Amino acid sequence: MTGFAPLEIHITPGEHPTREWFGLTVNIDTVISTVVAGAIVLLLGFLVRRMLTRETADHVPTKLQIIWESVVGEVNKQVEDNLGKVHPFVAPLAISLFFFILIANWLELVPSEFGPGRLHALPAPTSDTNLTYAMAIFAVVSVWVFGIRTKGFKGYFSHFVQPYPVLLPLNVLEELVKPVTLALRLFGNIFAGGIMLALIAAIPWYAGMPIANVLWKLFDMAIGGLQAFIFALLTVLYFAMAGAGHDDHEEHETPPVTDPTDQQREAHEKQPVPAA
Amino acid sequence: MIPLEKTNNFLVPNGTFWVELIAFAIMFYILAKYIVPPINRAMTARQDAIRKQFTDLDQAKADAQSAEEEFRAQIADARHEAARIREEAREQGAAIIAEMREQAQAEASRIVEHAHSQLEADRQQAVTSLRAEVGSLATDLAGRIVGEALEDQARQSRVVDRFLADLEAQESAQEPVK
Repeated sequence: MTGFAPLEIHITPGEHPTREWFGLTVNIDTVISTVVAGAIVLLLGFLVRRMLTRETADHVPTKLQIIWESVVGEVNKQVEDNLGKVHPFVAPLAISLFFFILIANWLELVPSEFGPGRLHALPAPTSDTNLTYAMAIFAVVSVWVFGIRTKGFKGYFSHFVQPYPVLLPLNVLEELVKPVTLALRLFGNIFAGGIMLALIAAIPWYAGMPIANVLWKLFDMAIGGLQAFIFALLTVLYFAMAGAGHDDHEEHETPPVTDPTDQQREAHEKQPVPAA
Repeated sequence: MIPLEKTNNFLVPNGTFWVELIAFAIMFYILAKYIVPPINRAMTARQDAIRKQFTDLDQAKADAQSAEEEFRAQIADARHEAARIREEAREQGAAIIAEMREQAQAEASRIVEHAHSQLEADRQQAVTSLRAEVGSLATDLAGRIVGEALEDQARQSRVVDRFLADLEAQESAQEPVK
């Protein structure tokens, strides 16, 4: 307990307990919380998988099913709108990114600081650039591979000199900046949220720390969801840009297909969500 | 206790990067292989089920409509049938009444005919007996008045016949007047 007034505010942003694995310096707390977040995602995933395979007569989905299915349906729709079809690699990637980042962000809300050095056992792994860089590079390298495989080596790289060859440096720069912006946007938001929590924890309780804490955590939840959504959406959009081509005509050739089946599906999906 | 490293720029990735990359790749692989496909399948299955229910509903509606139409047609048929039977019954009744009336008429005319012939026979009988008695009676009376006995049978009958003939002639002369 901090007593009535904090004598000092002990915040060490960006410092991690480390271990040496195979000659690499590893932030052990990030690794642990990554494993925890991944385990939660996979647990929820396998739970929903078990619910799905269970045969029910009335086809009424459970709440967990509705959460997964609304996310999967929404991502599928986004991917279909932007890529023209539900791509078997892009859609699962966006789903994985969304759920993993969401759970990872929300780990920040778990009060898990203890010990004499105020060791944070479960910091949000997304407040470590190592994870955000890893995910962003995974996503952007996938985008590059997707672009080259869709349009061919020449077709993909020719768009770097479009519409004018003089823009080549800018185009290359844009491509290289993509993973950095993806990674640092997510990192910055979640890292700042963690610092805010640490600062709020230093407020004396009689000055309203619990209220501020609850309010900020609610707000941080919203930020966490928003950042997860943005990361996944931008990844899909990068795939769309890589696949769509250098001139705008190709994009209009394949408008988002909305046949009655899709509308029916959407109407059906939207209906049960408020009941959750 | 885990030592905290003090000299670390948190914007520069360290070895954790590779661990995180591998961890994310593994999680993505498991999700993409084992979790997302069943969800997609379940969603399409549910959509199919809903679509099937919709078509079933349409089918049931159409069935109900056709059944109702059939029912209405049968009702109309039954009404027609009833009307036809009523009409037939009315016609039959009228026919029976007419037949009965005819029979009664025939019976009545038969009775009348019978009465006529009876009358005729009675009259004939009366005429015959009259002719037998009136002759002798008249001759008796005439004999007494004239004093001449008309015993002669032949003459007697001749006189009577002439008288009767006169009488009949008189009658037939008077008949058209009547």
